[in-house]
Amino acid sequence: MPARAMIASEPVLNVLIYSTLAAALAALGGLPFALGGAPRPAWIGGASALAAGLMLGAGYLLMERGLDLGTWAAVAGGGVGVLYTLAARFFTGLHDPHPAENPSPEDGSDRDPTSLVLLQHGLHAAAEGVAIGVAMTLNLRLGVFVALALAAHNVGEALALSDLLVSRGASAGRATGLAVAINLPQPVLALAAFALGPVLAGFLPASLGFAAGALAFLVLTELVPEAYAQTGKGAVALMVSSTAGTVILLESFFLG
Amino acid sequence: MTWGAVLWVFTAGLVTALATGLGAIPFAFLQELSPRTLAISNAIASGLMLGASVGLVSEGAAYGTAPTVVGGALGVGFIVLGGRLLEGREVHFGKVHGAGAKKILLILAVMTLHSFSEGVAVGVSFGGGQALAALITLAIAVHNIPEGLAISAVLRPRGSSLTACAGWSIFSSLPQPLMAVPAFVFVEAFQPVLPYGLGFAAGAMVFMVFFELLPEAYENGGATTVGLWVSLPLAAMILFQRLL
Repeated sequence: MPARAMIASEPVLNVLIYSTLAAALAALGGLPFALGGAPRPAWIGGASALAAGLMLGAGYLLMERGLDLGTWAAVAGGGVGVLYTLAARFFTGLHDPHPAENPSPEDGSDRDPTSLVLLQHGLHAAAEGVAIGVAMTLNLRLGVFVALALAAHNVGEALALSDLLVSRGASAGRATGLAVAINLPQPVLALAAFALGPVLAGFLPASLGFAAGALAFLVLTELVPEAYAQTGKGAVALMVSSTAGTVILLESFFLG
Repeated sequence: MTWGAVLWVFTAGLVTALATGLGAIPFAFLQELSPRTLAISNAIASGLMLGASVGLVSEGAAYGTAPTVVGGALGVGFIVLGGRLLEGREVHFGKVHGAGAKKILLILAVMTLHSFSEGVAVGVSFGGGQALAALITLAIAVHNIPEGLAISAVLRPRGSSLTACAGWSIFSSLPQPLMAVPAFVFVEAFQPVLPYGLGFAAGAMVFMVFFELLPEAYENGGATTVGLWVSLPLAAMILFQRLL
């Protein structure tokens, strides 16, 4: 848990602080390139697997509480979350297994593939922001955990993205800047979801379901396949099962 | 404690085991065995097993967190060790050879061992009061069907017959009645072991999913297809365990 000094008395400030922190930490993913080296693929894969485990755990916690508050609303919300992520995949034409490695639009259009990758990440970041916001609505502990899980995801994503951008001739500084910039929807949507919380209280189970569905589907369609491509399946299996298992065991700690 | 009660528990356990065989039914309609079918079958089995593991971990945590963790680590170790033992050996399973046969053996081992823990869970909960016994039996029986589905989803696309799918599904649940009886009679002795067993089953299942089933699914099908076919059964399992 964060030190007392890192918890603001005004709840909305906590949302701002932790969602911005999660987005800003993406800069860590650009660091290895700024230092003149490229990380080994195994590191990128390990980061994806770690984020996958944490996000699956976060999705489980959000879904559990959503089902508590309204079973069918949470289920419907989960379906919408899956559909949203699915739509982002098809909209950007990046529904092949490893978009970062092979960023070519399948519809044959001449849209710039790099900007499509960026757009897709931006669309994901919006859903991730909602996840932070609704988690904060439930309680601070869960909100901080979801923000940290997404920070881990942002770092791994920034590693992969910088790898792609630098290989296409971008400078490390520009790559890092872009990696942070695409996460800006996170704090914006986190604040919006949190601020709208009291107004849309009846929608809480549905929005918890939405966040859980979007996170889980993102993990299954992006993070896990990417992790397998970058590192051994044993490492992925160990990382995902131990992190997700730990989060589920700590359920009563996070949900109180 | 009467013999009648013991017989009741055994029969209840046996009925729940037989229900597992029903999971093979949807595979009667499976015609061609393309790589895509394999990917979808693996994905369905993964979703069902992940959903089951979530339930096992929550239940284990209710009995004790540390034993669940230890059990989980042992479960992971079991799959790693099992995989190593089978590596480089010529394995047959009926008409199935090679890597497919190894996967079949591993999933049967995992699901059968997991039934030991479930059997203990049944016995312990029966000890808690017989008024709920019929309801618990029904719940477990229904809950076993997706487990048969998961087993059949691994066996059938690799060439096993429908009868074999149903037979092995039932086989995998036979430890349930066998363990339910002693757990019912000696509740106090079995209760402390339960979280280890639940953790073991969850660890073995999750590791099996991410080490054996999902990599093969992504190799044979697109990430979108696999993602959808994992999340649907996963959501159904979580919902199902809640409503039951």
